Amino acid sequence: MSAIATAASGSHSVAHALPVDEYFGNATVGKIGMWIFLLSDAFSFGGLLLAYGILRGGSEVWHHPGEPTLGIPFTAFLTFLLICSSVTMVLAVAAATEGNRKQTMLFLALTALGGAGFLTGQFHEYFGLFPGGHGLAHEGLIFGHSAYASTFYVTTSFHGAHVLTGTTYILITLARTAAGKTNANDVEVLGLFWHFVDLIWILVFTFIYLL
Amino acid sequence: MTEQGHASYKSYWVVFVVLAVLTVLEIAVANRSLGIPRKPVALALITMALSKATLVGLFYMHLKSEKRALKLTVALPFLFPALYAVILIGEAGWRLIR
Repeated sequence: MSAIATAASGSHSVAHALPVDEYFGNATVGKIGMWIFLLSDAFSFGGLLLAYGILRGGSEVWHHPGEPTLGIPFTAFLTFLLICSSVTMVLAVAAATEGNRKQTMLFLALTALGGAGFLTGQFHEYFGLFPGGHGLAHEGLIFGHSAYASTFYVTTSFHGAHVLTGTTYILITLARTAAGKTNANDVEVLGLFWHFVDLIWILVFTFIYLL
Repeated sequence: MTEQGHASYKSYWVVFVVLAVLTVLEIAVANRSLGIPRKPVALALITMALSKATLVGLFYMHLKSEKRALKLTVALPFLFPALYAVILIGEAGWRLIR
């Protein structure tokens, strides 16, 4: 909101400048707001992972016969893709701080590409992208058939929804940067959301796939 | 704003390498055919995952260069889910072996 006002007034980052706070320094309202939102979002994921832990910790048979095992090498590649996109995002934030618009746009585009790649990979994992290929859903991992299947789909798709949201958010910020309507703070706040999506995946990958 | 400069660029790449190495280590340790007992494996995996998450928070989300109040605002609430995890998952496991 205030970024639009900034663009309209033709000045950069002035609208975000607040008096330096005794406790929060010069963290902007946008940044503190995003952190508080991310905390609430972290507790949503915390709830899902707790439910997974309780169900799994209390079950005699977790992996029922006939259900496929999760493909670790492919998901490891997706994990690596997200880590790479975190690097391009942090480089976009650095470029925005230095006022380098072209580089900011380049790194934002690369980050969005990483997000789109992850989503494509997740679709492939669920349903199989190629003709004749089998996704987990076709191999017998059916939502509602077991706690193993249900916790898997609920947790990973909730995370996938965040990747979709994040990629959209990046593309919007990219378009607004191209139009000269963003400042470094906007890109930094976007960066917080994107890194959070990566951070959560690190935990989901370990708990759901590796443990 | 957070402090930027050559030092931070270096830390971004160092963190990237550490994240990649830890991921490879995690996948190696999790390999069931190695026959390592599952309890130490689980402990190692959880430790590595939490370390990776902390690195992302500190360096990529720049928590490291934020003021103490913001750091605490973000970090302290996680004590509760951690407590619930120990109590509730422990309780579920205990009912199973009782």
